[in-house]
Amino acid sequence: MSQKDQYEVNFFKPLTPHARANKRLIISLAVIWAVGVFGFQILLMVFNQPTPEENYTKFEAVWPTVVEDSSAAIELKQDFARVILAVLGKNIAVKDGHKATLKKALSWAVYSMQDDSTKTIFLNEPNNESVKIAAASIGLATEGIDKLMLDLLPFSLTKIEHEGMCSKCTTSIPEIMKLYLVHNQSGLTKFRFLGFPFHYWYTAQFLLIMFVLLCLVYAKVIDKMNVKHDFVEEI
Amino acid sequence: MKTTNMVENIVNRLINFLYTCLFLTICSGNLFAQEATSLEGEFKTGPAIILICLLVTFILVGIFNRAKDTSTYWAAGRKISPIGAGMAIASNWMSAASFLGMAAIMYGAGYHGLAYVVGWTGGYVLLLILMAGQIRRYGKYTAADFIGDRYYSQGLRAYGAGLAIFISFSYCVGQFAGIGLMFKWILGIDYTWAVIIGASVVLTYTLISGMLGVTKNMQIQYVIIIISFLIPLFILGYKFGYFYMLPQIGYGKVVTDIINGIAPGKGITAMGHSFGILPSPEFAMPWDPATGQTAFQWIAICFSLMIGTAGLPHVIQRFYVVPRANDARWSVVWGLFFICILYWSAPVYSAFGKVLSANPEVGKLAKDAIVVYTAQLGSVYPLIVGFLAAGAVSAAFSTVSGLLVAGASAFSHDLYYRVINPKADERTQMLMARIGTILMAAGVAIVALANLGLIAQLVAVAFSLAGCTIFPLFLLGIWWSGSNRAGAWGGLIAGSTVSIIALVYFVASKFGGTLPAMEFVTYYLNAWYFAIFGAPLAIAANIIVSKLSKEDTPLEIKKFLAEKVHNYKVEETE
Repeated sequence: MSQKDQYEVNFFKPLTPHARANKRLIISLAVIWAVGVFGFQILLMVFNQPTPEENYTKFEAVWPTVVEDSSAAIELKQDFARVILAVLGKNIAVKDGHKATLKKALSWAVYSMQDDSTKTIFLNEPNNESVKIAAASIGLATEGIDKLMLDLLPFSLTKIEHEGMCSKCTTSIPEIMKLYLVHNQSGLTKFRFLGFPFHYWYTAQFLLIMFVLLCLVYAKVIDKMNVKHDFVEEI
Repeated sequence: MKTTNMVENIVNRLINFLYTCLFLTICSGNLFAQEATSLEGEFKTGPAIILICLLVTFILVGIFNRAKDTSTYWAAGRKISPIGAGMAIASNWMSAASFLGMAAIMYGAGYHGLAYVVGWTGGYVLLLILMAGQIRRYGKYTAADFIGDRYYSQGLRAYGAGLAIFISFSYCVGQFAGIGLMFKWILGIDYTWAVIIGASVVLTYTLISGMLGVTKNMQIQYVIIIISFLIPLFILGYKFGYFYMLPQIGYGKVVTDIINGIAPGKGITAMGHSFGILPSPEFAMPWDPATGQTAFQWIAICFSLMIGTAGLPHVIQRFYVVPRANDARWSVVWGLFFICILYWSAPVYSAFGKVLSANPEVGKLAKDAIVVYTAQLGSVYPLIVGFLAAGAVSAAFSTVSGLLVAGASAFSHDLYYRVINPKADERTQMLMARIGTILMAAGVAIVALANLGLIAQLVAVAFSLAGCTIFPLFLLGIWWSGSNRAGAWGGLIAGSTVSIIALVYFVASKFGGTLPAMEFVTYYLNAWYFAIFGAPLAIAANIIVSKLSKEDTPLEIKKFLAEKVHNYKVEETE
């Protein structure tokens, strides 16, 4: 080997025992790092299944009847209204355009449950009275999860402009519901660890612990390696 | 000596006086208790006093530790211990993006936001195992210095300096906007004035102190940042019946409760609403369709942030301030640990924030301020919320000061001294460093004042840009002596081209322009994560051009790399 070649630095062709040991250490840690971070996410992707919320199942059961028959049973419309409120309750996750459509559908559902004497109230801008009537029509209680829907109701009604459900509602609501009520889930997301969904704990906490440990291991091992190979670091 | 002691005494007394003021403020906190229910608006006296006390303390520490020469200004005289350097790394790293932005992303996009948590911490593993010790052993002051010397090119040095300035600039804009947001919240003033005041203060103490003062400040700032960030979490956990002894674990139940829904009964928010939420699995489920984010984007952001971390000039520069290569490594270990304390905690704010802001009466909140709003809505004592906001300002300040120093160093040392005027004496270099700091701060403030709404974007752009340009040069420059000047140019051109394409498409999409394959490019070369393709391309281009070019890396550089950086013991022969 010429003197010039002896000065060649190539990570994959280390020339000294220290460099070889260092290469093995770096590759080992990098593999753990890559598999730990990206391997797990790939695993999540592989196992993920679109899993509907209970509300989506309820929606699928009532939607065909509600959309086709405005005189569908009140119970079905109540369920429909509750599902819409459940989606609107997701608040910041819901796009403004979707919110507007859902509000129209909810208002129509409430309107269609009224008799002629109360229907006119919903032809105007929502007020305390219409909210009260709507809550009673949907059958919302004042406690539990219902209380949250009750709080949501004043912000979820809109003035009725059509006798029937708006055409945009009929075409876009199934997609909207699917978007907000079907989630990627698997055993990794359903299993609970320290109270967390496992995948969340793994990503938010374990990976960070792993990073610190990898750094700690590297710093410790390299210190020992330097002593073993008589590697003097300072210039 | 006598004069130094006297100055030290005066500074200590002043600091004691300020903390007495702070203590009295806290004792008289009931005067300001009514501020709890107003999320925005009026001048908040208590938080303002806390903020002023903190800022004056930083300036006094800066004055006391001010730089006396260029070596001190750039590299703190290399007198910082690994734990101290670790704290400085953490403080330098924990910016407004970490303190405010991370919780904001998770609040809005749930699991997708964890890509930022993982990306902004995982990059340190790469930095440590591939670069930290070697960079210290190389013994240069700045990233551009390394590039210019390793690739024996003044042109590359100038390009590297320009990149360092641009990256630091992009990064700073987001921080200034964060400072403006918090000054606006605390002082109840207009955003414009908030940015101007904040920029003036951070500029003042960076100018006075240089990096030694900044490093000392960073250690103090770390303690303030982490305490201010953690205290409200214990209170929130306790108030709403979760495991509050270790809220970083206790919030697991909050996440599960958000998925299943929380019926009212666990407490009342500051605005009088029940602590409750309807079932919201989209908050925690991976790449939920409702968030509009995909698995590819998660991986791309995570990868780009990691690569960018190992290529950011102001991060790399931190390794020059430790005495030995061994200290550089241990400073990363400590730094990452200190960083993780905040990163383990940030999702807690997003989870509580999600529940506390669920009531529609709360209205649409500015996501970037969700940390502070969460504490407010959770009825945390107003002065503690104020301390939290002051912590956010400290986080932004510590990062901005590091960035300004990195930018000014690139301007003064790499552009002015090494390229324009090599005969410049220390005094002139120092002056240029300060002029560079002023120019950069003014420029950043102007862009931040434009309130483009690009805070998180600009930070992510800086990471991708660093990943596409500086990271490949360091990686190959350290680990392969075959990488030569031509290869460096090839890699830089490839990385810069990808960056320009991504930025042009980003700007076009922001302003409603249309370009060919718009949807395809904005998805795969998005401004927040274009390093996913840009960095590998730049590395490949560097290798291919180096191999194809006939030029060989000069022997003295190979020798330096082998002997000094990698400690190969080569015996001299004829």
